[in-house]
Amino acid sequence: MKITVLGLGNIMFGDEGFGVEAVRRLQAATDYPPEVELIDGGTQGIYLLNIVEAADYLLIFDALIPTDQEVKVYTYRDDELPAIIHRKMSAHQVGLSELLTLAQLHGKVPKETVLIGIPPQNLDMEVGLSPAIEGLLPEALEAGMGIVNGWLQATG
Amino acid sequence: MAKRIVVDPIPRIEGHLRIEAKLNGNNEIADAYSSGTMWRGLEIILQGRDPRDAWAYTQRICGVCTTVHALASVRCVEDAIGAHIPPNANIIRNLMNATQQTQDHLIHFYHLHALDWVDVVSALSADPNEASRIAQSISSYPKSSPGYFKDLLKTLKTFVESGQLGIFSNAYWGHKGYLLPPEVNLIAVAHYLEALDFQKEIIKIHAVFGGKNPHPNYLVGGMASAINPESDRAISIERLAMVKKIIDDTNDFIDQVYIPDLIAIAGFYKGWLHGGGLGNYLSYGDFPETDINDVDSYLWSRGAILNKDLGTVYDDVDPRDPAQITEEVSHSWYTYKDGDEKGLHPWDGETNPKYVGPELPYKHLDTDHKYSWLKTPRWRDNPVEVGPLARVLIAYAKGNDDIVGLVDTVLGKLKAPKAALFSTLGRTAARGIECKQTAGFMRRYYDQLIANIKAGDYDTFSKNRWEPKRWPKDCRGFGFTEAPRGALGHWIHIKDEKIADYQIVVPSTWNASPRDGKGRSGAYEAALKGTPMVDPEQPLEVLRTIHSFDPCLACASHIVDMEGNEITQVKVV
Repeated sequence: MKITVLGLGNIMFGDEGFGVEAVRRLQAATDYPPEVELIDGGTQGIYLLNIVEAADYLLIFDALIPTDQEVKVYTYRDDELPAIIHRKMSAHQVGLSELLTLAQLHGKVPKETVLIGIPPQNLDMEVGLSPAIEGLLPEALEAGMGIVNGWLQATG
Repeated sequence: MAKRIVVDPIPRIEGHLRIEAKLNGNNEIADAYSSGTMWRGLEIILQGRDPRDAWAYTQRICGVCTTVHALASVRCVEDAIGAHIPPNANIIRNLMNATQQTQDHLIHFYHLHALDWVDVVSALSADPNEASRIAQSISSYPKSSPGYFKDLLKTLKTFVESGQLGIFSNAYWGHKGYLLPPEVNLIAVAHYLEALDFQKEIIKIHAVFGGKNPHPNYLVGGMASAINPESDRAISIERLAMVKKIIDDTNDFIDQVYIPDLIAIAGFYKGWLHGGGLGNYLSYGDFPETDINDVDSYLWSRGAILNKDLGTVYDDVDPRDPAQITEEVSHSWYTYKDGDEKGLHPWDGETNPKYVGPELPYKHLDTDHKYSWLKTPRWRDNPVEVGPLARVLIAYAKGNDDIVGLVDTVLGKLKAPKAALFSTLGRTAARGIECKQTAGFMRRYYDQLIANIKAGDYDTFSKNRWEPKRWPKDCRGFGFTEAPRGALGHWIHIKDEKIADYQIVVPSTWNASPRDGKGRSGAYEAALKGTPMVDPEQPLEVLRTIHSFDPCLACASHIVDMEGNEITQVKVV
């Protein structure tokens, strides 16, 4: 059984680095058993397919454009995740939704997938989160730890 | 009346490529403009930091190109401070680089580029028995039975009928520009899925030598890979055996799947030889056999070709020479303090953004003036193309045995003339040829490493320049690699042990650059000129040619859109 926590985003662009920062903080704050793996996925796109397909339970932290613009922590589960995949100009535009669709075509979708995201407030080229997003981080981490603990208990 | 098409992936952040193409009355592209982003502000992030940490930041610039920026960066700092690395570190870097090239080319062909040639919806009407017959006639790849193709058809149909067109949505299915019969389309779709499944294995090599993947570790002065054949914490016999198996499987996959597919698909498109473009090519060279300063030892040669003249290779390419590499801003949203007319060498580079384009939302860029966030790099004042086609042509012109053999074999099988290389299809073929070559490099470096380990050499790091007090007070360095998509250069200025300035010229800046002060186009713009469009509302031909360069422009953004907005916006106006 493999529980994977994957942080996505680019630490060079302010709040775009939210996912990576969340995983780094979790790494420092938790001491999970070996079946839980915390991964800084950066913006590796298609190169993360192995990680997505190898996971039984997948928790992802990422910046997102929500359907409403309220600055808060958003959580989406399984079917709520966006399934639409786009025609690309660059291999670098492969997003989360495409990874999940490809995993589906290979018949290797995680049993459960949860996305925890925030709407980025600052995307300028600088390292570090904006105060608004920094303020949301504890809540996001709390939510993430709750999900991982739930999976650990459910699978004994 | 002249029409203008716009192909513009809607950006979440400034990280995108936009093409505007003017058509003539025959629906041929009369002129094209390429506009894109640049990583403004990188030098500000790096200024004042420890040069030994630069690789960890530069590897994050670009989503997928992490390894190549890390490699260029450590080479750059080592060049500045005068550090030399042990032979094992050079071998491991070469092995990781060859691994990256091979995986990247494979992913590019199947994942990004194949759908410019392959019609997925047509594949649904294929006869699986006929697909099996064709597959077995071109390759010994074992997954080729009628049953295999029947099962795949069933999966595809279920997928499409359930409305989850997913990866296959938003394309131009049924477009007259697609020329493959249904069975060949089906084979290609089968291998699209197989290739994406297989590529996951290749990169495990990075985890072995870089400690982890994604984001393997690099180190100024060597590599952080401890070798100890007896230990399970270091690079051990067991892990090396795994690496060996991955290398063997990779070579098999390329020989049995990628190359036969490439030749089969190209056979149907050899009449479509558009997209050649500039005819000027540049490569910094890479894969030093001994030391990075021994340019003659590179397995990929440094050099340049002008005007498609394969009879002359310019061997004196020197990226340190201020007269050779310059960046202009005459059509870019920047200013230079001494005027925008004169190009600057990266060591003297400036990044002063000044947007003077139209207000958002706009219909057209002001292509007569400034229209891109990319600067315009030039080699000895020439616009050049970089990437696999440049490298393969330079090697071919220099008579490199491996490349001459591979190129002539592919041309022979296609019954195509040498001139066919100067095209979109030629660029795509060059990438496949190169992928086969780099898979061979993986084997070569593995064997070199094993020989050194057997001889008792476990050394991977040289600490003699690690301490900043041993560095010159004020020094400059140049570091480079030939990334999968072309020449990548890093230029650093170190002062008092800290980064004073850092400039990067990435491959896509060479290829996607806007016009220079003399009005001359870069590689993308030149390649699009003269291309006939079957249907301007569905600019398949534009995507095909731009994708053939493996653009690197939409880097760095990884935001999920919960509304599922389209990325590519196509407008005819």
